[in-house]
Amino acid sequence: MLTKYIEKYHKNNFQYILVDDAGKILEQDNPILPLTIGENIQDIHPFFEILTHLLPTIDESFEFSCINLDYNNQETLVVDISLKTSTNNNNLVIIENLTNHYNNYQLTAQSRNESIINSQILVLKNEYLLEKETFKNNFIANFSHQLRNPITASTIFSDLLINSNLNSEQKNYLQIIQSANKDLKQRIEDILDISKIESGKLILVNKVFNLKELLKNLEIIYSYLGNKKGIHIQFNIESNIPEFVEGDQYRLKQIIGNLLTNALNFTNKGSIIMNVSLNYFRAKKVNLHFEIIDSGCGIDDESINSIFDRFTKLDTTAGTGIGLGLAIVKYLISEMGGNISVESEVNKGSKFTFNISFKTSNHSNDQKIEILKNQTPQLKRKYNVLLVEDSEVIQLSILKILASTGLFYIHIIDKAEMLIPHLIDNKVDLILLSNTIQDFSAITLASSVRNLSKEYKKTPIILLSTQGYKDDIKHFKKNSINHVLVKPFDKNKLLELVKQSLK
Amino acid sequence: MTISKKIVLIGHFGVGKTSLIRRFVENTFTEDYKVTIGVHISKRTINISENEDISLIIWDLEGQDDIKKTRPSYLLGTNGFIYVFDLTRPVTFEHLNDELAFLKENFVTTPIKVVGNKVDLVNKIYLKEHSEQFDNVVDYFVSAKTGSRVEKLFAKLAEELI
Repeated sequence: MLTKYIEKYHKNNFQYILVDDAGKILEQDNPILPLTIGENIQDIHPFFEILTHLLPTIDESFEFSCINLDYNNQETLVVDISLKTSTNNNNLVIIENLTNHYNNYQLTAQSRNESIINSQILVLKNEYLLEKETFKNNFIANFSHQLRNPITASTIFSDLLINSNLNSEQKNYLQIIQSANKDLKQRIEDILDISKIESGKLILVNKVFNLKELLKNLEIIYSYLGNKKGIHIQFNIESNIPEFVEGDQYRLKQIIGNLLTNALNFTNKGSIIMNVSLNYFRAKKVNLHFEIIDSGCGIDDESINSIFDRFTKLDTTAGTGIGLGLAIVKYLISEMGGNISVESEVNKGSKFTFNISFKTSNHSNDQKIEILKNQTPQLKRKYNVLLVEDSEVIQLSILKILASTGLFYIHIIDKAEMLIPHLIDNKVDLILLSNTIQDFSAITLASSVRNLSKEYKKTPIILLSTQGYKDDIKHFKKNSINHVLVKPFDKNKLLELVKQSLK
Repeated sequence: MTISKKIVLIGHFGVGKTSLIRRFVENTFTEDYKVTIGVHISKRTINISENEDISLIIWDLEGQDDIKKTRPSYLLGTNGFIYVFDLTRPVTFEHLNDELAFLKENFVTTPIKVVGNKVDLVNKIYLKEHSEQFDNVVDYFVSAKTGSRVEKLFAKLAEELI
């Protein structure tokens, strides 16, 4: 019985071939490859050509597994082949047909390899996208920085010019220029903010600030803007909200300012109401509720779901932005631990609502007064200010601003190598240092000032920078720079920082 | 007169060894990836001089992420190696120098050609960025898809085998 089974299952899967040392077939059984006695095994398939080199060996055994034999255009056989050489010119070749077994293995290997290759390709695609994203963000940042010098000059000279002897037509033209400058500056700031958000570089700067005063200032500004357009703007601030809180006042101002500007842009009649109320005090935190309600054109159902997406602009001529403002607002509010929602009806108006938590301030009243004092410094004598800047328009802008106060003696140098000789020969109370001085890094220059003498160890150095990222500013401040004023800046910002540094 | 020489193509899986052989032997190409298991053996005879042909017995080995794992019997009697890597997948050439050192150590006199396949999918900047890895190591940047430099690769190796 066993012999029968062996005959049935074993014999069909094995082929035994006797060949001489030259590869000529001497004997064979025929179940796998149809061979003929006397033909040379090397002519059957290129695999057997390798045997030419092995047949002359004596009493050796060679095993070749998983050999794919394409034979006479038939289905490929996948076989294991053994070769036993001998001394008597009778070498044995054994072929075992394992096609089914190896085909199953092939299927497994196929799916394994495909999955590995796909995951490798995915990693590479990811890396490529990241590189592209980084390039895009760097490009945006660099491009925006390049625009800062001309915008600074344009802003400052417009501010200076408006106070000169101009007729009303000229003043009107200048106001248009000022407005365009402001729009341009805002758009650049928005693009930079989005780029910072995408690269994870937008970080909130939390400090104690006077919340009530911030809201009061916004009320003054927007009431004035509303009046100009004939829109009544009403601020309802609950009296029980805290005066001082800890948070990022610049970003809070940006959020409210953006929503009020939008409300103003999209409202042509009626009013705008800003409500600020207290939600709760809990665990040294205060949660405030903000509402901005307008009677403007409203937002249709189709658009309302996407208004917080980047580069989304409503189909209206009222807005002048590039559709980034609300995306930034949403991000900032969520970074402050809050959320924003909107309700709107076409031709009736919109209501934007958000909550934000702030840490409550532990400052005593005296400390709070000190904070306020620090924000508005007064100078007691005339100071020597050295400006190191190679852009002529910026030189002129700063000269005009500082000179207009009568509080400073101003010296200007436009080459980095002139800095140290100037400091040796002159007394300088404050240095305004540009970060775009040709061939020199601002940090190197600032360090050389610090190393010059004991006298210059504490001299305030304000960097006029085109780089505004938090990391850049941190880096500058760690390296001999006291303050960083990011371009484009206006007259007030410059004067405030100069006075504060000299106080 | 015809002489026979055994050439072994070796390298990671999915780098295009089979495609290179198909391009050389049959002048065809397919985008479909079919894993090679074990070994496929093909043959093409090329003329090297007026009265001399060389029959290249080309062994297409199953791809390995480490060529030291290759079955030793497959390498018996090898006359020349073509080490293939995929220019688009750095993982296939990050240990290039180690793998070549292994081959050179074990097959001291056997010629080796190192080829970066799929050159049609990368640009000159990419090649320049990787020049530190490729310079003085890679013999040919080839494309089984377009056929670029495939013929030249085999012809050059054949020439060195005589």
